[in-house]
Amino acid sequence: MSMLEARNVSKHFGSLVAVREVSLTVAKGELRAIIGPNGAGKTTFFNLITGFFPPTAGEILFDGEPVARLTAAERVKRGMGRTFQITEVFPQLTVHENVRIAAEAAAGYGLRLWLGSAASKIVAGTVEEMIEVTGLTAKTERVVGELAHGDQRAAEIAMALALRPRLLLLDEPTAGMGEQETYEITGLIRRLHRDKSYTIILVEHDMRVVFHLADRISVLEQGALLADGTPAEIAADPAVQAAYLGKAA
Amino acid sequence: MGTLILFNLFNGLILGAFYVLAALGLSMILNLTNVINFAHGNFIALGGYLAFVLIPFVGFWPALVLAPLLTAVIGFVIEKTMIYRIYGRDPIYSLLLTFGLAFMIEDACRYIWGVNGLPLTTPASLSTPLSSEFFFVNAYRLFIVGIVFVAVAGLFAFLRFTRMGMRIRAGIFDLETVSALGINVKLLRSLNFAFGIFLAGLAGVLAGGQIGLNPNMGDTLLLPSFVAIIVGGMGSLVGTLLGGLLIGVAAAITSVFYAPASDVVIYVIMAIVLLVRPRGLLGEEGMQ
Amino acid sequence: MSALTRRTALPLPRELRWLRLAAVWVVLIAAPLWMPLVGGYTDLAARIVVFGLAAMSLNFLMGFTGQVSFGHAAYFGLGVYGAGFVLLYFTHSTPLALIAGILLGGVSGAIIGALISRQRGIYFALVTIAFQEVFYYIAYKWDSVTGGYDGLRGFQRAPIHFGLFTLDIQRNDILFYYFVLSVFAIVAGAMGLILRSPLGRTFLALRENERRARFLGVPADRYIWLSFTISAFCIAAAGALNALLNNFSDPSSLDVTISGELVVMAVLGGIHSFWGPLLGAAVFVVVQNYLSGITINWLFFVGLIFVVVVMFFPRGLLGVFRQRRAA
Repeated sequence: MSMLEARNVSKHFGSLVAVREVSLTVAKGELRAIIGPNGAGKTTFFNLITGFFPPTAGEILFDGEPVARLTAAERVKRGMGRTFQITEVFPQLTVHENVRIAAEAAAGYGLRLWLGSAASKIVAGTVEEMIEVTGLTAKTERVVGELAHGDQRAAEIAMALALRPRLLLLDEPTAGMGEQETYEITGLIRRLHRDKSYTIILVEHDMRVVFHLADRISVLEQGALLADGTPAEIAADPAVQAAYLGKAA
Repeated sequence: MGTLILFNLFNGLILGAFYVLAALGLSMILNLTNVINFAHGNFIALGGYLAFVLIPFVGFWPALVLAPLLTAVIGFVIEKTMIYRIYGRDPIYSLLLTFGLAFMIEDACRYIWGVNGLPLTTPASLSTPLSSEFFFVNAYRLFIVGIVFVAVAGLFAFLRFTRMGMRIRAGIFDLETVSALGINVKLLRSLNFAFGIFLAGLAGVLAGGQIGLNPNMGDTLLLPSFVAIIVGGMGSLVGTLLGGLLIGVAAAITSVFYAPASDVVIYVIMAIVLLVRPRGLLGEEGMQ
Repeated sequence: MSALTRRTALPLPRELRWLRLAAVWVVLIAAPLWMPLVGGYTDLAARIVVFGLAAMSLNFLMGFTGQVSFGHAAYFGLGVYGAGFVLLYFTHSTPLALIAGILLGGVSGAIIGALISRQRGIYFALVTIAFQEVFYYIAYKWDSVTGGYDGLRGFQRAPIHFGLFTLDIQRNDILFYYFVLSVFAIVAGAMGLILRSPLGRTFLALRENERRARFLGVPADRYIWLSFTISAFCIAAAGALNALLNNFSDPSSLDVTISGELVVMAVLGGIHSFWGPLLGAAVFVVVQNYLSGITINWLFFVGLIFVVVVMFFPRGLLGVFRQRRAA
């Protein structure tokens, strides 16, 4: 059983075809990178998987279950966690508060007026764990809006992790980052994949990151799937090279 | 019964015409700048009062154009000095600002022109009914419909065919890109605001001729304008046009069958639209 | 409460938070003592507490869930009428009047909230205004029930009988003030507790970043409805108190002017602060009281206050203070 399967998924915006009958399958425990030139439809495809908007056609199966008609919030409840190209966090709250809200929401405590000591401990444990995994322990009481770009990204990842998702979707996690920050985020994603066995789908532009992390790579161009294979296969594919990999990795 | 329905249909058309005129101005300002101009009703009154001041000097027909123009100038100044500050901020601020302005303008009108109603003299040529059977169709009321038609057609033509109009339409869609293209967005917003106020002033002159002037006269048009925008669809001027006509006619028709409900029917329509199609009849998806 | 209300400024240390809470309550409890010294009177103090509660209830939705309502006077006014109905038509019982007011305003808020919970931003504000005007219109026109323009008159707040003793809030102004303060304590306390709970944090999340909240599994529309409903129940309580304070119920309590004034009070006091709206209410009520005494064009000046607040105090009085502390 695959973790995620897209079958002939399309998205039309009026007459504009942003995603054109894309089919791909991501296995459990896999780290899949989705690459392609600007405007290829990568983020739109991401949005389709995560429920930002419904597909015009096609089916999306999450762990065997069809989810195309579900809202984003419903898909999160099923086990999808997502980060955004432009970091989406709660800017005026601290790192701890951000992750805590995520943990409480995931545990279904969002409506509660009070948490018993057992529930509180579980939540606190999750929060502490995720902050530690993302290396933010020293900054846990800092207001997220004031943190450096890379740390905000890490906080967002911590929030997504606090959901204890079965599938983690990261949209350009290294966008706008310097060398050091890229290195750290890449290391984090690698740890999540290797040590914690998360299934991860990654949209990325930075080819070094892609080839360093991915088990398989899918290439999109103009909304359609151009190629799909291992990093070695993709690097050797002439069509991909023509469309995209002008510069060597 | 036939005449009664015709009578009310015509009334509905007039009412709808007023709603459309008031609502379009409000809609233009809302669509481009995300500002709810709470003071719109007061600009309507101001237009009527300025016509009152001008008519003895220039006569009715010039005043019909000059009074709204003058009101628009005042609106332009207010936009340039006060409203520009709150663009891009939380909606609270635009609401508070225009709300405060509403109080200030209303009290100023009260202070200058008094609390009691004032008549607005219209040309005698317009007050004669056209025929004895259709006595309710007097020339003034036809004239209202005509002027509104001209104004609305003019507005849409302006938006469709002039450069400024295209910029406004583009700005409604994506103001940031318009700005990045080097277009003077500040001026665009000011002019757009002034346009909206021009329409309000015009509504005031027409209404003044129909029901007389008083400081609160804009209030009866303000809320239905909101409803017209909600029903017709947020973000769509054509929607506002349809919404205004729809609620005007609906109110009039209802008064034939069950008079007390005619005031409430527009809110019932609004509630139904909110339930069934929250974005409004012609609203853009995701405008919420 | 302070942990949730910070802007990008330094948090108040724990000890100072307790000090602030204590200070607020000392000021409130001692009001009948110090009010006359500054030229005020107990009635004014009660009015401040009532409007403070109303502004805080509105701010539950505005400042802590991030949705602007410019039509909350509807539920305040329904609270006023609910209490009035009971006292005028049914029975001379203050608790019953309170409950009736709270229910009428709260349930109406729940219904309207359900209709509008899919809207956001300026459009949300627009529909709140529209519905509020509907209620105003009903109060005005349905004069057989609501008394029309004059409203419900001819009733008085009833003394409360506790079996062994009676609280004569009818004749004793000071006792009435403490009654109002008690209700305030309960309702404001409830709001404060909710805001510190996981539910409160979810509301905060919606304020901070609705998209992120949705992508954490939060069904935004439903929660916004819930916040709207809670704030409607609370503001209805303030309304019921207002009816008791005035001994009449009239359409002016449903006027959009009140909606605007409540927003100004919240903004003036600082919408990201729990107690801010109370401060804003105090300032506004006192200033308005003063202005209406010295000029007939006080409406003009009230409008001017709105404009000035927006242009110069967008972060509220407390906000100005906080900026300085952070710098």
